[in-house]
Amino acid sequence: MFDLMGRNSRQGMWAMPLGVAVVIGAVLSFGTAQFATAENLWNLVTQAMPLVITAIGQMLVVLVGGLDLSVGSVISFTTAILALDAPAWVLIPAVFVLAAGIGFINGFVVTRFRVHPIIVTLSTQYIVLGVTRILRPTSGGTVPEVVIAAVSGSLWGVPFAALWGLAVIALAWVLLYRARYGLHLFAIGGGIASGQTEAARNFGLKDRRTVLLAYVACSCFAALAGVFLAGRIVSGDPNVGLLVELDSITAVALGGTQLAGGIGSLHGTVIGAFVLALLANGMNLANVSPFVQTAVKGVILMAVVGLQSRKKMGL
Amino acid sequence: MLNKALRVPPAYYVFAILVLVLAVLRPKMLDPHVLGIFIRQVAPLGILTLGQLLVIRVKSIDLSGGGVILAVNYAISSGSFPGASLGFQVALALGLGLAVGLFNGVMVAKRRVSAVIVTLAVSIILVGAVQYLASGKPPGNVPEVFGALYNTSFGVIPAPVALWGLLTLILAVFLGRSVYGRFVAAVGESTTAAQFSGVPVERTVIAAHALAGVIAGVAALVQTASIAVGSVRVGLDLPILAVAATILGGVAFGRGEGGVWGPFFGVLSFALLFVVMTMLGVGEPGKLIFQGLIILSAAILYGLRSSNT
Repeated sequence: MFDLMGRNSRQGMWAMPLGVAVVIGAVLSFGTAQFATAENLWNLVTQAMPLVITAIGQMLVVLVGGLDLSVGSVISFTTAILALDAPAWVLIPAVFVLAAGIGFINGFVVTRFRVHPIIVTLSTQYIVLGVTRILRPTSGGTVPEVVIAAVSGSLWGVPFAALWGLAVIALAWVLLYRARYGLHLFAIGGGIASGQTEAARNFGLKDRRTVLLAYVACSCFAALAGVFLAGRIVSGDPNVGLLVELDSITAVALGGTQLAGGIGSLHGTVIGAFVLALLANGMNLANVSPFVQTAVKGVILMAVVGLQSRKKMGL
Repeated sequence: MLNKALRVPPAYYVFAILVLVLAVLRPKMLDPHVLGIFIRQVAPLGILTLGQLLVIRVKSIDLSGGGVILAVNYAISSGSFPGASLGFQVALALGLGLAVGLFNGVMVAKRRVSAVIVTLAVSIILVGAVQYLASGKPPGNVPEVFGALYNTSFGVIPAPVALWGLLTLILAVFLGRSVYGRFVAAVGESTTAAQFSGVPVERTVIAAHALAGVIAGVAALVQTASIAVGSVRVGLDLPILAVAATILGGVAFGRGEGGVWGPFFGVLSFALLFVVMTMLGVGEPGKLIFQGLIILSAAILYGLRSSNT
């Protein structure tokens, strides 16, 4: 039988949010004339892309029972670095090296010192945001031409943004479902969720290294989202990533990935991010106040997640 | 010896160091009247932290305080209840806090939804609703009686600080002496063990959230009194700061060695940190960096200790 709630599935509850997305899409197509136009749909994809990319990274961390609150700061930090006065071939590798460094610190402290991920990534969020505001107190500067060209062009009518999305999803798909790494992530997460933190290690998995790499990957995905955003806004902005961490967690949770770890899916996360984007896009078209949009986002998150049941109580 | 030294919550060290720095660089700042003004500013955070530490001890978290503060601030400053008495406003704030807290608690304990998600969603809904009602503009002025209360002081101790201290004392005695306090400690130590020992785990968690909600209502009143005007942004960063202060105070998810006074000094440390940073001419970004570094290093010392025992 088709399992709408994903109760017995390793993939979590992803069919429900897909239903929500389809319903919103259908309502918008019939309700507004502008929604179902090619232009608006490509716009939607472009608007959703930073969140899709960030949420995929966030999901890797959530799968092993973690949480990364520093992604928003990493995004702002990335745009600030890209707007520095240096050649593109220095800046672009630099943002990924720096992001990997931040992710490494997060993962290292979480795995070696056993500090709770919320505490660690909250601290790095503050630190990275502070550094970003020193580098660029207000928005300004220009990002390299290459970056702008890479996000604003289109190929045979398909905007580059969509191609970015496909590339990122493909990369994450290989990582999760075609590489040993993904299997290990699910195995370790499943153990953590059921309180058997040693289980995966007893099977000979390098659990610390795997978890650490999830944080590094999460930061790098955030940096990629930052590069994308920098190309869109053409300058560095210390506030562009503000609260993105909450949106990314919302998207991940909406997609049926459980915050306790071990259960979740890539397609669920992508669906979750698109539900949020659809909401924003649709309510803009329908002239709904942005404040109501915020409230509706909260209600949907509560409703969808409230329907899931799990054993673990607490965080 | 080292282990023993590490048992003291990091907040006490940070507090002592900051007092020392102030004593050496600007002894004048240690005047109780001057300090009182700075400490008064963190009273809302301090009160909110009391609720946060309670839920953190039962391995939960409450991020909805920002929403409660905003909603209470709106209700009081928008003039929705013209001619309402002070008692009514207080009852409204506490009632709203209780309702939100109970909802959080039932969702977390009964429905077993992730506490991060539930309380985050509640906050998002409240913030969205308030900003919609206010159309994004600051609503209006707060009745004068709030400002008058806020500016009262008992000797050198400002009223908000006195209230904060009193609530801290009450919570400390309550958690230390009551059966409920033992339940909280037991649930924090091990949910499974508590369950098997006959501790009403679900009710303990629900009560913790409900109490945290009421406390958030109190924090909302003090915060509203402190800014004296309506705002659509006030207090949104307080829940996360309260988590940070709790950690600094030696209370982590399920571990409560810092008691109630540890986080109290955690909040005081934040107040002093801002004083010292401002004095040294460090800007907003520098403060963020220092705050992050202090929480991180405190947490690392804390983590090291748990792997030793």
